Amino acid sequence: MPATSAPSSGRRTRVRAVATPWLFATPAIVLFTLFLIIPIGYAIYLSFRGFRIEGGGAFGRRVQTFVGLDNYLSALTDPGYVAGLGRVLLYGVIAIPSVLGLALLFALLLDTPRVRARGFARTAIFLPYAVPGVIASLLWGFLYLPSTSPITYLAERLGAGPLDFFGFPALYFSLANIALWSGVGFNMIIIFTSLRAIPASIYEAARIDGASELQIAWRIKIPLVAPALVLTGLFSVIGTLQLYSEPATLRPMSNTISATWVPLMKIYQEAFMNDNLGGAAAASVVLALGILVISLLLLRFFQRRTFGDNA
Amino acid sequence: MTPPTFPPPRRRRRRGAASAAVLALTLAASLAACSSEDTPSADTATAGGPVTLEFWTWSLKGSDPEAKAIVDKYHQEHPNVTVKLSEVGGTADTSSKLLAADKAGDTPDVVQVEYRGLPALVVSGAVKEITADVASVKGNVDPNIWALTTFNDQVYGVPQDIGPMMLTYRKDLFDKYGVKVPTTWAEYAEAAEKIREKNPDAYIASFAAREFEFFAAQAAQAGAQWWSNDGKAWKVGIDSEASLKTADYWEDLVKRDLVKVEPLLTPEWNAKVNKGEILSWAAAAWAPSVLYSVAPDTAGKWESAPLPQWTPGDPAVPFMGGSTYLVPAKSKHPKEAAAFAAWLGASDEGSKLLLSLDLFPGGNAGRQATLSHEPPQLMPQQKDFYTITDQVIKNTTIPVTWGPNVNVAQTAFGDALNKAALDRTSFREVYKATQQAVVADLEKAGYTVAK
Repeated sequence: MPATSAPSSGRRTRVRAVATPWLFATPAIVLFTLFLIIPIGYAIYLSFRGFRIEGGGAFGRRVQTFVGLDNYLSALTDPGYVAGLGRVLLYGVIAIPSVLGLALLFALLLDTPRVRARGFARTAIFLPYAVPGVIASLLWGFLYLPSTSPITYLAERLGAGPLDFFGFPALYFSLANIALWSGVGFNMIIIFTSLRAIPASIYEAARIDGASELQIAWRIKIPLVAPALVLTGLFSVIGTLQLYSEPATLRPMSNTISATWVPLMKIYQEAFMNDNLGGAAAASVVLALGILVISLLLLRFFQRRTFGDNA
Repeated sequence: MTPPTFPPPRRRRRRGAASAAVLALTLAASLAACSSEDTPSADTATAGGPVTLEFWTWSLKGSDPEAKAIVDKYHQEHPNVTVKLSEVGGTADTSSKLLAADKAGDTPDVVQVEYRGLPALVVSGAVKEITADVASVKGNVDPNIWALTTFNDQVYGVPQDIGPMMLTYRKDLFDKYGVKVPTTWAEYAEAAEKIREKNPDAYIASFAAREFEFFAAQAAQAGAQWWSNDGKAWKVGIDSEASLKTADYWEDLVKRDLVKVEPLLTPEWNAKVNKGEILSWAAAAWAPSVLYSVAPDTAGKWESAPLPQWTPGDPAVPFMGGSTYLVPAKSKHPKEAAAFAAWLGASDEGSKLLLSLDLFPGGNAGRQATLSHEPPQLMPQQKDFYTITDQVIKNTTIPVTWGPNVNVAQTAFGDALNKAALDRTSFREVYKATQQAVVADLEKAGYTVAK
C-alpha cells in the first residue's frame, strides 16, 4: 500500500499545483467572460446583422438577418461618422495638452518645499472631478447661454457684445474647458503621487550642486514623472475618443451640436433612436479598434523614450 | 426615467410632441436602465383571475392625484384589473425601450407613444393589431382622428390626445407694437418685420430647426405629403415643390433675421419668453400649458388663434403632436389591455377624465367637455379658447401619414437645417438631402419606393 500510494500522491500534488492558480483565477475569469468577452462577442455578432423587410407592402415587417459587411461599409463611408472622428481629434488637440499641462503645473507647485495649505489646495483642485460629467456640463451650459450667463452679463457691461460660446471655433474651447475643469484634479493627483515617490536625496544632491527649484523641476522632477505623464496622457487620449456626455448634454441648448457630433453620439443615435443595433455595433467595433491601435502606437512610441530600451 | 427639463415644469406638459426628445436634456443617462423592477407577468392570469396591466405613459404620472384617480376609477369598475403606471420617457425613449422589451419577450401591456412614432413600431412587429377589440368605440372618435392609428385598414392604437394647430402669441405685446394677428404666412412675415422694427431685441418666434413635426405640418399645409403609401410602395415627398416652397419661406425669414435661430425650451428660450423677447409659438393647442410651465408670470397676456395659412381663407390644417395608446404584440393580457385603452381613450367617461390631465382628448365626449371647460391657465381671459380650438379640429382635414423611418429623417433633418440656418445656406438643399436619406434608408430596409 505505502509503495503504491507514493506516486499517486505525487501526481495529486502536481495536479493541485497546476490547478491552484486556475482556481484562484476562476472568479476573475468568470467575471471577465460574463461581462467582457460575451458582450464583445455579441456586439461583433450584431455588427453583421441588420433589419430587413420580410413580406412586401408598405407595412412589411422588419426582421433581423445576416447582412455581411454592410454595416461596416456604411460606418466607414458615413461622412457623419468620419467627421465626428475629426471633431474629437480637434477637441483632443485643445483639451489634452491643456489638461495635462495644468495638471503637471499644479502638481509641481504643490510639491515645492515652501507651499502653504497644500492639503486644502489639493482637495480644491481635485473636487470638480467628483462632479459627474453631465452635471458639470449642465452647470457650464448655464454659464454659456447668453440669457443666463454671468460672463456674458459682465462682457456686455464692459461694452463687448454678447459672447457666443457655441459658435465655431469657440464651441471646442467651451467643451475643452469643461474637461479642463473636471479633469485637471484627477491627473494632478496621479502626477503628484508620482512626485512624492521620488527620494528626497536626489533633490538634496541637486541643491548641493546649486540647482534652483525651477531647474530641479525641469531637469529632475519632470523626467522622473514621465511614466505618470504617459499614463495620464494615454487615459486622456482614450477619454477624448470616448467623448460623449458633455456634447450630448449641451446639445439641446445649442444649434451647433448635431446628434452625431462625436462618434459615440452617432453610435447612440443609431442604436437607440434609429433602432439600428447592427450599425451601432459595427461603428462601436470600428471605434474600439481605432482606440486600441492608437493606444498601442502611443505606448510603443513613449515606452522607448521614457522607460528605456529594456522596457 | 423622466426626461428632465430645466426649470422643472410646474405643470405636466400637455405636449407629447417633441417634448421629450427635444426639450429633454439627455441627462439621466438615457442609456441607463430600462424600466424599474418589472412585475414580470406576475399574474399569468387564467381567465377571470386578477390581472395587472403595466402601462407606460408620460401623461399619467403615478405621483399625480388626478392620474391616480383615473386608474382607481378603472379598478373600481373592473375589480379584476389593476393598472400600474410607469414613465419611461418620451416617444423616442419609449419606442427604443419597447423594442428592447419586445426582443426580451417581456413587454408592458399598454404603451403611450406619439402618432409620429407608431409606424416604426408597427413595422418592427412590436404592436398588436386591435381592430376587432376596439371596434365598439370607433364611433366615439371622429374619423380624422381615428385615422391617425389605422394603417391599411388595421387599427394599431386608440387615440389619447390630439394637437390641433394654433398660433399662441403675446396679445399684450402684439397690441403694443400695433401688430395684427396674422392669418396667412405672408402676414406672419410682415408681423415679424414690424416686431423687429419696434423692438430690436424681440422676435416673433424662434426658428427651432429640430421641430421636425412643425416643418412636416408646414409642408402638409402647403399640399405636400412627406410620406405616403398605396399599401404596397412608399412615396416620399420631402423634396416635392410644395414642400420646397415652405423651405424657401423659412430661409427668407431666417436670412432677414426675422426669426431667432434658437432651439425651443432651453433656459435661453425660456428666459426670452419671460422677458417678452419671443412673442409667439406656432404649434398646437397643447402649447399654452407648456408655455405656462416655463413662464407662469406671463399668464393672462397670451391668446391663441388659428394657425396662419398659405392660401388666404383656406382653413385646413393637419394635427401636430398628440399621442395614442398601443398594445404591444407580446402583452400577456392583450384583451384586457385593449379594453383599458379603449375605455381611457375613447369612452365617454375616459376621454372626459383625460381632460382633467390638461390633455386635449381625442374622444368626442372629451372634446365636447372642453367647450364648457375653463380656458388654459396661460390665458384665463380668453373665454373662447376652446370654441376656437373646436373649430380648428373641425378644420383639421389634412391627413398626415408618418413613415416607418421618421426617426431616421428627424435628427438628420434638424441638424442639417440648423447648420443651414446658421451658415445661411440653402434650405432647399437640406430638404433634398433629407429626401435622399429617407429614400435610401427605406430602400436599404427593403421597402419599395415609388418615384
